[in-house]
Amino acid sequence: MKFTIYQESRIGQRRNNQDRVAHCYSRDALLMVLADGMGGHLHGEIAAQIAVQYLTEHFQREARPRLLDPLQFLAGSLANAHHAILDYAIERDLPDAPRTTCVACVIQDGVAYWAHVGDSRLYLLRGKGILTRTRDHSRVQMMIDDGLINEEEALVHPARNRVYACLGGELAPQIDFSHKTPLLAGDTIVICSDGFWAPLGNQALLDGYQRGSAMTVTPLLMDQAEARGGEGADNLSVIAVNWEDDYRGDTTSLAVETETMPLDAHTTLMEGFDKARLREPELTDEDIERAIDEIRNAINKYSK
Amino acid sequence: MPSQQTNHPLPAGFQLDRYRIERQLSLGGFSIVYLAYDEDGTPVAIKEYLPNSLALRGDGQVMPAIADEHLNAFRHGMKCFFEEGRALAHLSHPNVVRVLNFFRANETVYMVMQYERGRTLQEHINKHRGEIRETFVRNVFARLLNGLREVHAQKLLHLDIKPSNIYLRTDGNPVLLDFGAARQALRGDGPTLKPMYTPGFAAPEQYKAPEEMGPWTDIYAVGASMYSSLAGASPLAADKRLERDTLQPATKRWGEKYSKQLLELVDWCMVLDYHERPGSVFALQRALAERHHVVHESNWLDGLGRNLKSLLKK
Repeated sequence: MKFTIYQESRIGQRRNNQDRVAHCYSRDALLMVLADGMGGHLHGEIAAQIAVQYLTEHFQREARPRLLDPLQFLAGSLANAHHAILDYAIERDLPDAPRTTCVACVIQDGVAYWAHVGDSRLYLLRGKGILTRTRDHSRVQMMIDDGLINEEEALVHPARNRVYACLGGELAPQIDFSHKTPLLAGDTIVICSDGFWAPLGNQALLDGYQRGSAMTVTPLLMDQAEARGGEGADNLSVIAVNWEDDYRGDTTSLAVETETMPLDAHTTLMEGFDKARLREPELTDEDIERAIDEIRNAINKYSK
Repeated sequence: MPSQQTNHPLPAGFQLDRYRIERQLSLGGFSIVYLAYDEDGTPVAIKEYLPNSLALRGDGQVMPAIADEHLNAFRHGMKCFFEEGRALAHLSHPNVVRVLNFFRANETVYMVMQYERGRTLQEHINKHRGEIRETFVRNVFARLLNGLREVHAQKLLHLDIKPSNIYLRTDGNPVLLDFGAARQALRGDGPTLKPMYTPGFAAPEQYKAPEEMGPWTDIYAVGASMYSSLAGASPLAADKRLERDTLQPATKRWGEKYSKQLLELVDWCMVLDYHERPGSVFALQRALAERHHVVHESNWLDGLGRNLKSLLKK
């Protein structure tokens, strides 16, 4: 397998980051998973963390180095993650189970398989267009499907954040599964939370990834989404992968080549609980002045 | 990644705040150090925060160019520079470099330090390779450890102790320099930067498990610095030792030349498993002082004593 992958999660203007992202690969299989903990509910970020952690751990156990059946893997681990969240709520005696959206994608033998629940999305970009994307489990998506509103109206509709399917709710989650989708070299898969796709829109996302690799484009698009989100910018997270098998162009040294990996090895990138939660505060001019004053005071105080 | 570029120093005679630049003393990846004079003509060392991967100053320029996408990283590094300044400002110890002033100019920040005359331990080792005496090692490190103890008391780790960061004043008193790698690591809630370490002196946990760094990490570097004083060269890097430890223990290598107690101490500091090292500078100091009064190098007086004894036996 050969691919270039980039993942990032940002807090936006919120007080904490309830998004979680991870990707993980063996020699023959790649897993990408994103969960957006639901804010209205208690401990949304815990539900997201449990989901992401459950899937990556399950992947590490099962992909040695191949998954027997990627779709079954997704179905089983998403259902189990749902139960793990409920168990957590019962153990802690929480009044309401924490909830999260989830998108997970496996690529094995050059074929992509994905599953999703809620309004976090997967886009498969090919050539100059969006080959396919997931349909949100949201009230507005239902309204679009019924022909009541269009996509633009959905973005500003008051019910746009109402999601009717998730992991961790009272009802068994409604999980949608993709078909087996063979990938071509040059395909791009973008997995993202609504803090990314909603302010950006499909066209800007598509245009962005036409311009360069996942690694360079993603942070720029995130900047753009965050700027458009303004003071209310939501948590935003992206995992983007450029599929490069039999890619003949100039291969960047940053691309991942898994051919030489041992059969039982995995590489996982998942940000820790606290790291994703806290935003690194930027150093403002005032901060600089304050730091200098503080140091000068200390110098005066401690020098004899 | 542009990381191999070098920054041009401010020119001689440049008036920087209330200091006049004389010349560049050293150039690192993170900063430039200048010799300068204040308005009274007192020499000072000024450290300019200028990470060359993020900010570039061309020949004849004053303001460094910082690309927009590097601005955040540049400011983040500045925070670490402040940490260094803040920690040093709280320290007033004869064996730790003294900070005199701190100011902002040219879109970056500057730390003014006392200028020390003398030379680094590294230069001393190079000059006296293989003929460093035990009393010298004991004297330098016993005093240096006094300074390091103060550093640790400030909940700060140095993390880059090595002979080229130990300055020997003309009176022989050592001064611990360059806290560039220092973080408030003991508190554990500060931002973590990409680690910088010097092979040979960095402890294994600096490579492998930064969350396990502690006073014992600096103690490894002290041991390695003592080893290097005896050997006249850097010891084998810790990551290489983890693969295959071919480092000859000091006790084996110099059994004849130095006291067993000093050599055991060096080996103790350089144990790969940090649990087995001296746990604090205080523990190390105690060990270093223990036999100091008992074992002297043979000097003419000892020789005289032995001769007298043998005379008496006859």
